[in-house]
Amino acid sequence: MVDKNNSIEAKIKRRKTFLMVSKFGTIIGMAIMFLAFSIAVPHIFPTPLNMVNIANQASLAAIVAGGLTMALIVGEMDLSIAYLASFAGVFVTGLMVNQHLPMWLSIVITLAACTALGFLNGLIITKLRVNAVVATLGTGSIIVGLTFAYAQGVPIASGLPPAFQQLAIGKTFGVPNNIGFMVIVLALLWLFLNYTEWGVQLRATGGNPQASRLSGISVDRIKILGLCIASFCAGITGILLASLIGSGTSAAADGYLMPAFAAVFLGSATLKDGDFHIIGTLIGVFFIQIGFNGLAIFGAPTFVQYFFRGGILVIAVGLSSVARIIATK
Amino acid sequence: MPKNQVPGPLLAVQNVSKNFGGVCALDNVSLEVYPGEVHGLIGSNGAGKSTLIKILSGDIQKDGGTILFDGVPFTAHNPHESYKEGLGFIHQELALVPKFSILQNLTLGLPKTTHFGLINWKAERKRAAAVAERVGLQQPLDAIVDQLSVADQWLVSIAHALIHKCRIISMDEPTASLSAEESENLFKLMAELTAEGTSILYVSHRLDEILRLCDGISVFKDGNCVLRTSRREATRETLIEAIVGGKISAVPLETGGGARREVILEARHLKGGGGRVRDVSFVLHRGEVLGIGGLVGAGRTELANLLFGVDKIEDGSVLFEGRPYRPKNPAAAIKNGVALVPEERRTQALILKDSIDFNLSLTNLDFLKIGGLFILNQKKSAALSQAVVKRLGVKTPSINTPVIDLSGGNQQKVVIGKWLNRAMKIIIFDEPSRGVDVGARAEIHAKIRELAAEGAAIIVISSDNEELPRVCDRVLVMSFGRVSGELAGNEITKEAILYKSYERGT
Repeated sequence: MVDKNNSIEAKIKRRKTFLMVSKFGTIIGMAIMFLAFSIAVPHIFPTPLNMVNIANQASLAAIVAGGLTMALIVGEMDLSIAYLASFAGVFVTGLMVNQHLPMWLSIVITLAACTALGFLNGLIITKLRVNAVVATLGTGSIIVGLTFAYAQGVPIASGLPPAFQQLAIGKTFGVPNNIGFMVIVLALLWLFLNYTEWGVQLRATGGNPQASRLSGISVDRIKILGLCIASFCAGITGILLASLIGSGTSAAADGYLMPAFAAVFLGSATLKDGDFHIIGTLIGVFFIQIGFNGLAIFGAPTFVQYFFRGGILVIAVGLSSVARIIATK
Repeated sequence: MPKNQVPGPLLAVQNVSKNFGGVCALDNVSLEVYPGEVHGLIGSNGAGKSTLIKILSGDIQKDGGTILFDGVPFTAHNPHESYKEGLGFIHQELALVPKFSILQNLTLGLPKTTHFGLINWKAERKRAAAVAERVGLQQPLDAIVDQLSVADQWLVSIAHALIHKCRIISMDEPTASLSAEESENLFKLMAELTAEGTSILYVSHRLDEILRLCDGISVFKDGNCVLRTSRREATRETLIEAIVGGKISAVPLETGGGARREVILEARHLKGGGGRVRDVSFVLHRGEVLGIGGLVGAGRTELANLLFGVDKIEDGSVLFEGRPYRPKNPAAAIKNGVALVPEERRTQALILKDSIDFNLSLTNLDFLKIGGLFILNQKKSAALSQAVVKRLGVKTPSINTPVIDLSGGNQQKVVIGKWLNRAMKIIIFDEPSRGVDVGARAEIHAKIRELAAEGAAIIVISSDNEELPRVCDRVLVMSFGRVSGELAGNEITKEAILYKSYERGT
């Protein structure tokens, strides 16, 4: 029947048009911002040094946002990631300074502990059927408690091995290590989502849990996996942050929560119809980082930076829900 | 029904057109609905019925033409406006608030009588009780809507339209989830409403209902109204011809003979599904199509859920190829070679936003992995999907098209396709052709027979009693969680199934 093909074409055409608009929406926004800052502070903002600087600053947020993307893809939520990142920073430095463990072992134990806490999040959400927002708000607070219990609120700074500090500050082939870590983690997440069995199951579970279960996918297990990856990535960010600032400080990474959410939601309206995806998240992170960096160089007062951060989150969520409405129409 | 002095049409659609991005969804369509008339709207999926309904309800705007309601030009800019004007629309997915009581649902959006600014529930209750009685709703007004049967939810929806003084009510596939008895009650109510002057726009794929109920019938195809007729003139054949746009051969499908086949599955005294399946025993043979008929709520879907591992078997036993079988989840059932094509394709079977390829790959991930590792072989997946699309004749520009863009029939083919890339031993089809157009329906039936001929054992659950005689070798009829009868060969008739459906099973 010819009419069907026609109406399919029409739908696809409409979606494609929208896709272009949405794709360009974020990217044009980014370009305008870039241009504006370049004109405003021409000798500082658009320099190669500052570009590397932006990427470097974006890297830690990108890793935690990449993990968060996984939690959101399975249709859940994780509000504990930033607290977990702070915990990771304190724990990893503490293991080295207080327990005198070698660096590699401290990192492995820390990442394992973070993943275990993600597993706990997953269990609470899937087995106890607690809403993810409530569950991770609760575990987030418990994690803050853990951090304080472990460090008594005192920053762990002296006695860190120099190699640990080099982790984030050092350069490989002239590129700051953090940028390298970001590229590796996000590339792995992207490959995982698009080219592996579990990745596909992750996307399916978020798309339609019931259909996924009836297709033979263990939905609960996949959701737990998504939350574990989110926590694992938060752990990486926490460790790198501790290395960067040279100490394990309680609440050091707490500020990553907002930008991570803003980036992931902004990304979901980019290139796709309101789906969470890694490349979108990366673009979202850079969008926000360029904004922060530019505003800081421009000398904007602190309140403007908060406006920017909050505004982006609201606009991003608005954009992605509009995208979803149009996509499913 | 038109009286002696013929009144003007209540609703007149004149030369209405609608384009979507250059593609014509409605092309100069005209139709009239008279007061007190049931007007049938039929056509395959994508023919333009829903576009017209959406224009009338104000969901979308027409590009050209006029609509007269009661002789006055009428344009609804949003669904609320059309409701206020007196046009009620009841969609297949009912628009009730599930956690609200009947009373709260009925008075939703209604200007309420108040005492000092507070709602006067006593007066509202009286008003609601009056319409509830009119539609024959037997439930207390405080009953919560999501605990009602689908039939009662329909009555609430109709009562909702009545309390808002709607003069024309559109119903989309009202009998799709109703049992035969419930359908009869609905038809009776429709007759009462039309006798009082309310008009009904009846959208359905069920031709026997259309022929029985509709005074006027409009057949849509490719955005045109290709046939305007009435039940006095129309026959099943003329309607099908108009829908399909050509003759359709009514050759009965070849059902495999009565040869004794090997037993693949034997269920003994099955019990489960929250009391919906009480005591079911049956055998299933390789290469046969076993139908399960009965009324909605008889426990058929629940039986399928037990066999597919969705729900736990509470009591009784199943022998599958001679060995005890008790799947703990769908994944286990699939591993054993059991597949389910569920009842609700959009919510239970498809990930709408994702591509055909993605959806088809979900059931095959275990053998799409390269070298048994973790990485998926995308080329193999694409090739398999391409083959399925070709084999089932899915009409789509490519395998990367999101399934949401496909018509109902093609979506259903994708759902079936999920099980074609692996050799399944038992395939359970739950309402395989619900909401699917005539052409795709015939193709799906042919595919079911083909799978059986290849050696799979097939179970077809259907409330459409014309479907079972067409495709099944044998039919079990379920009633109140038990098997109330078994029919084979020539015994399988619509009437026999219906008759057994009302018997108490033993």
